Amino acid sequence: MKNKINIYLIEFAINAILRQKYKSLFVSIVFILLTFLLTSVFFITNSIKYELNSTVDALPEIVIQKTEAGRQQNIDVAEVDKILAVKGVSDAIARVWGYYYFENAGVNFSIVGVDKFENQYKSSLAKIVDTFDLGEADSPLMAIGKGVHAIMQKNYYKEYFNFIKSDGTLKKVTIAGVFDADTQLESNDMIVISKETFREIFNMPQTKATDIVIKVANSSEIATVVSKLRLMYPNSSIVTKESLKVSYQNIFNYKSGLFLALFIISLFTFFIVIYDKVSGLSSEEKREVGILKAIGWRVDDVLREKFYESFIISFFSYIVGVGLAMAFVYIFQAPVLRDIFVGYSELKPSFELPFVFDIQTLFLVFFLSVPIYIAAIIFPSWRVATLEADEVIR
Amino acid sequence: MILSPEVLTLFILNALFSFFATIAFILSVKIFLKWDTDSTCQAQYRLEKQSFLTATIIKYIFIIKVPLFLFFIFTLDKISGLLTGAMCAAGVVNATTYGTYLVLLKILNLYLFAYWLALHNEDMKHEHQPYTKIKFGIYIALFFLLISEIILEGVMFKAIDIEKVVDCCGAIYSSSAGSYISVIFRVKASLLLTLFYGNFLLITILYFLKNKYIFALSNAFFIIISLITLISFFGTYIYQLPTHHCPFCFLQKDYYYVGYFIYVFLFIGTFYGLLTGLLRTSENEISKNYKISLLFNFLYVIFLTSYPVLFYIKNGVWL
Repeated sequence: MKNKINIYLIEFAINAILRQKYKSLFVSIVFILLTFLLTSVFFITNSIKYELNSTVDALPEIVIQKTEAGRQQNIDVAEVDKILAVKGVSDAIARVWGYYYFENAGVNFSIVGVDKFENQYKSSLAKIVDTFDLGEADSPLMAIGKGVHAIMQKNYYKEYFNFIKSDGTLKKVTIAGVFDADTQLESNDMIVISKETFREIFNMPQTKATDIVIKVANSSEIATVVSKLRLMYPNSSIVTKESLKVSYQNIFNYKSGLFLALFIISLFTFFIVIYDKVSGLSSEEKREVGILKAIGWRVDDVLREKFYESFIISFFSYIVGVGLAMAFVYIFQAPVLRDIFVGYSELKPSFELPFVFDIQTLFLVFFLSVPIYIAAIIFPSWRVATLEADEVIR
Repeated sequence: MILSPEVLTLFILNALFSFFATIAFILSVKIFLKWDTDSTCQAQYRLEKQSFLTATIIKYIFIIKVPLFLFFIFTLDKISGLLTGAMCAAGVVNATTYGTYLVLLKILNLYLFAYWLALHNEDMKHEHQPYTKIKFGIYIALFFLLISEIILEGVMFKAIDIEKVVDCCGAIYSSSAGSYISVIFRVKASLLLTLFYGNFLLITILYFLKNKYIFALSNAFFIIISLITLISFFGTYIYQLPTHHCPFCFLQKDYYYVGYFIYVFLFIGTFYGLLTGLLRTSENEISKNYKISLLFNFLYVIFLTSYPVLFYIKNGVWL
């Protein structure tokens, strides 16, 4: 049977690889590096995407923001009652939140104002409100995320922090405690204070809020609710959870796509290097093929043996590269590389990359490496295989 | 335009394919025009050497194309998350006017390339390589199909508009839709099932009669009737939903990727069935092709039949 895999031929191929130790070693190292880099990048994006998606899942279904001249403005708290009257809406909460720029460290804190007696729009926030006392208007307290805590410690704000209000005076807020949220990505730079304190610091009137979040009990009604809201507030931007998810997906596709586009250059280089390496035939190899042909090997057999050889090398290197990438990303948490995706902010969330196994990534890397390697050896192998026995041995 | 890593990968490999396919094409034309086994001149020797290169390239393209086709479907499934309305590959395929043609062309190319490979294997068995001229002639035609497939694929991914709302498979494959697919649902299921099982019975009988041309013909018919019954009848049992007919959704994880098995069985079974009629080869080979064809068609029928039967055993009713 011609189509069956010939064990002896595989054995011969393995021996041939071992005979050319340095050449094979060089090729596999280049190959391993390539797959390692590529797989690592995809593993990192997958993990971050997973982390972000779980953050998005906790978000309310719809957020409504008032915009004027393309910029977000504060919305009237009174709108909440109108929105609650829309059928299908189970809850609407006016949020007050914003960013506070801390000049000494050059970072932005996200500050969230909460009211103890209101429904919280996120379970993690409800937990924080239950655990920490946020104090009264004249003796305010705040709960802070881990990253914020570290920054404040560094700047000698061990027990309290002075916010600079919009009129230039200071507002002293005592630290009530440090919280641990489910996902580091969302809470590392967060400060939770009471709504009154928030309004005082940022000079926001009682009748205003940053935006309004809307909960819809039945997820299939979201589209209808959104279209009703569009009619009510034609000049506001209405963001749904789904659209957020899609834009996250797009951002990461864009980032890894851009990386891949740059990577094409390395792939091309790889192709050339392999081509060059394999076509440089030593007289030893030439003699080998000559002898094989003299003892009755056909062109097809030699080609097949070369194919086995390259497949063994590339598959072996692929497995090693993927294995190394797994260790690098999930055990060592991908030092250096993940900064590309997380960003350089001082308050960079220090989250762990969760283990997400996506079999498609493995296929993706496989298609980007093994076929390209095999393509690079087609010409050189053919040239070897069609050498005339008498010319070579002579 | 979608620039996801998967799509880029497909583009990179397509670029590689076009490069190699063009080389093979040029050599094929040369071989097709000048091949002469009886000649002993230098040019013929060179052609013989080049025929190995050409064959290797074509083999390479085909061997990568098979898993790449599955990857393509996989990619469509993944992109469906980005398009509003799409829930599986069907939505993406229908998002542009090119999608359907692309999938059909890909399947056609798969059959043709597989046929080329079988022809090549047969050719290599003979000392005089009697099919060389024909096989490279076939490749010349195949080359144009391959290139149009690659161009179509590029055009399709470029035409996909992320902002546009597309149909979900529930809408595309519903009996109320005005498309040509809805015609299938108007035909009674019992008639289709009779045709399906009757066709399989015919294949089995022909297996014993060993009439290879009718065997191949009934296999060709079997592809069509299988796909129709899969959409109109068996699909609903895989989903356990009387209204869901999509032939793509069962490729997803929620159905344990069973679709890949279904289509692979069907492909292998019918391909070897067609081969019996289309390839002149030794008796031994032909009886092997018969066996493989019958085995995989049998597996396909058993596999699909088990869904409604198990459903009936569990629930005591038909859908």
